[in-house]
Amino acid sequence: MSDALVFEGVSKHFRGPRAYLSLREDLTAAVLRRPRDRQAVIALDEIDLAIPEGQSFALIGANGAGKTTALKLASRIMYPTHGKVRVRGRVGALIEVGTGMHPELTGRENVDLYGRILGFSRADIQRRFEEIVAFADIGPALDQPVKQFSSGMQLRLGFALASHLEPDILLVDEAIAVGDAGFQYRCVERMSDLVREGRTLVFVSHNLSAMETLCDRAVLLDHGRVTEDGPARDVIRTYLHGVEAELMAEDGDESAIGSDELTIVRVSLLDEAERDVDEVPAGGKMTVRLHFRAARPIPRPMFEVGLSDGRKGPFALASMLIDGESPEKISGEGHVDCTFEYLPLFPRMLEIWGGVRGAAGFGDLVKWQRLRLFRVTGEIEAGPSAVSHSLANAPVRLPYRWQVTNSDGG
Amino acid sequence: MTAVGHPRPAEAERAEPRTIEIVGGPGRISAEGLREAWEYRETLRAFVMRQIKVRYKQALVGIGWAILQPIVAAGLFAVFLGRLAGVGSEGVPYLLFALAGMVVWTFFSGSVTTGSDSLVSQQTLLRKLYFPREILPLSSLGVGFLDLVAGLSVLVITAALFGVFPALPWIVLVAPFVPLTLFAAACALALSSVNVYYRDVRYTLPFLLQIGLFASPVVYSLSVVPESWRFLYASLNPVAGAIDGVRRIVLHGEWPDFAVLGVGTAWSLLLLVAAYALFKRLERGFADRV
Repeated sequence: MSDALVFEGVSKHFRGPRAYLSLREDLTAAVLRRPRDRQAVIALDEIDLAIPEGQSFALIGANGAGKTTALKLASRIMYPTHGKVRVRGRVGALIEVGTGMHPELTGRENVDLYGRILGFSRADIQRRFEEIVAFADIGPALDQPVKQFSSGMQLRLGFALASHLEPDILLVDEAIAVGDAGFQYRCVERMSDLVREGRTLVFVSHNLSAMETLCDRAVLLDHGRVTEDGPARDVIRTYLHGVEAELMAEDGDESAIGSDELTIVRVSLLDEAERDVDEVPAGGKMTVRLHFRAARPIPRPMFEVGLSDGRKGPFALASMLIDGESPEKISGEGHVDCTFEYLPLFPRMLEIWGGVRGAAGFGDLVKWQRLRLFRVTGEIEAGPSAVSHSLANAPVRLPYRWQVTNSDGG
Repeated sequence: MTAVGHPRPAEAERAEPRTIEIVGGPGRISAEGLREAWEYRETLRAFVMRQIKVRYKQALVGIGWAILQPIVAAGLFAVFLGRLAGVGSEGVPYLLFALAGMVVWTFFSGSVTTGSDSLVSQQTLLRKLYFPREILPLSSLGVGFLDLVAGLSVLVITAALFGVFPALPWIVLVAPFVPLTLFAAACALALSSVNVYYRDVRYTLPFLLQIGLFASPVVYSLSVVPESWRFLYASLNPVAGAIDGVRRIVLHGEWPDFAVLGVGTAWSLLLLVAAYALFKRLERGFADRV
């Protein structure tokens, strides 16, 4: 099968903040023989990439990695500084859909005009009109000026148009980031329909879950370079690990925390074999060790250790305020171990929080705060969004089972 | 999907998808580019329709403004130049004489003004959507045509009021507009593309048009120009050729000077090719620079 989209040594440089010039500045520069100071921003740096026909492909990367630029080159909105992009077939680009609609014209008029701006014939549009309108589901608003629509409605109409006009290659950039839940669902369904029909999809989104479900293959872009290329799920995992690794690295400062009375000098993590680790397997055993230094003897300090997924408050807590197992007294240096016997968690990065209170249960010796990050490792499960979905949701995996009862004999 | 068994144009096309190569650097005129521009003619029409519809929706009098402008200008010229200064008007009422000039001039200056601003004013489209870029400046001409038709109607009515009625040469009324349209297209293409890079164009153009108004026989007759220079002047300045042509046809019921129009067409075509080459050369940087 031939390639639908090929990047051959493609680079794209942008001029600095001020793109357009004034004649005066250019003349001055020419007369004084002084080069204009132009700081190029390199958005794409020698990209080589071939996307076969019918593949559903994801571009992944942090903001500014060059994803949107790649799509703009493929759709001929921009041209490469070096290299060559080859495109086979008709391109439908959903880059900020809805631009090109005119606020003063009605939805109906815009379907016709926008469709033709996208390069489709009147016959194409008329044949698809009912389907497009039904998909956009904007009802009576169709005969009102688009400026009276909400931006969500404009988006719906834009997506409906671009995705129904049968492009060979569909480029989608963050198109479904807005829009209500039902519409997002329909967008993703529509995109997978197109993929099933054998069309090529290039998808850029922050919605990793949708990309994991829809795409066969992904490329990871980092500062305009391809750093990973492979099955979407693996690339998404690499990307997420990279993000986590960055966070862990930032987390590295080991300065002691606490008060004049009591400081926690270091927090270490021990696995089953008592080795100092950064990650523990899901379902395994983990000990959080708080190394402390007390300025003078402290009676009945109330240690607390919690686990958090970054949202407000811990989802699991071990607290001496609850279990009453506080030591009689601590003084000098030492450590407190808090061992979780069993971690029913999804593989992802989590936070360890901690704090120490005085004997009376109030008065912080060490303020409740985030102490460090750690990672739970584990096998990827079989579900379509197993990598990305388990990250964005509840961190605890209780033992459970499903049973579906269906009146149609399910 | 629908329509099984009906070979549709879209499907026929898909059978052999076209491969395009996207490279940077200065572009040039190519058969491929021309073919694509032609394929997008419906898009051109869509842009023209869009501008027309928007104009009608926003302005209560819509096309009224297009008519009013040459009438008011012609009226003013008639008072100050015709009455007070006594400028010659080829034996027809000065108002009618100036109106013929203004209708042609308004088409030209209006098309060039909106055309040269078309890329910059619609920069969001340039940055978000693909379509052959020449569509934007060219669509300004389409809107100009609408105004022209309105203006010519006013001219014909006014002529009738002054007792001037259609004669046989009216069948070639379109002829003077052939070189003029090509010339206006050349100006719109060249100026719009340069305007993306140097916004100075936007500020210089009104000034240049002011000069153009008096460099063309809008308020005076072509016969003011010395006989030996007249041919060269009227063919190299297609506005002059067009105004003279329209006056001969509508006001005098004569045939236009086809030699002037022919040379003017060839000259304008040459300019159009040069302008289009310039446009293509600059085109690939539009989205980056606008």
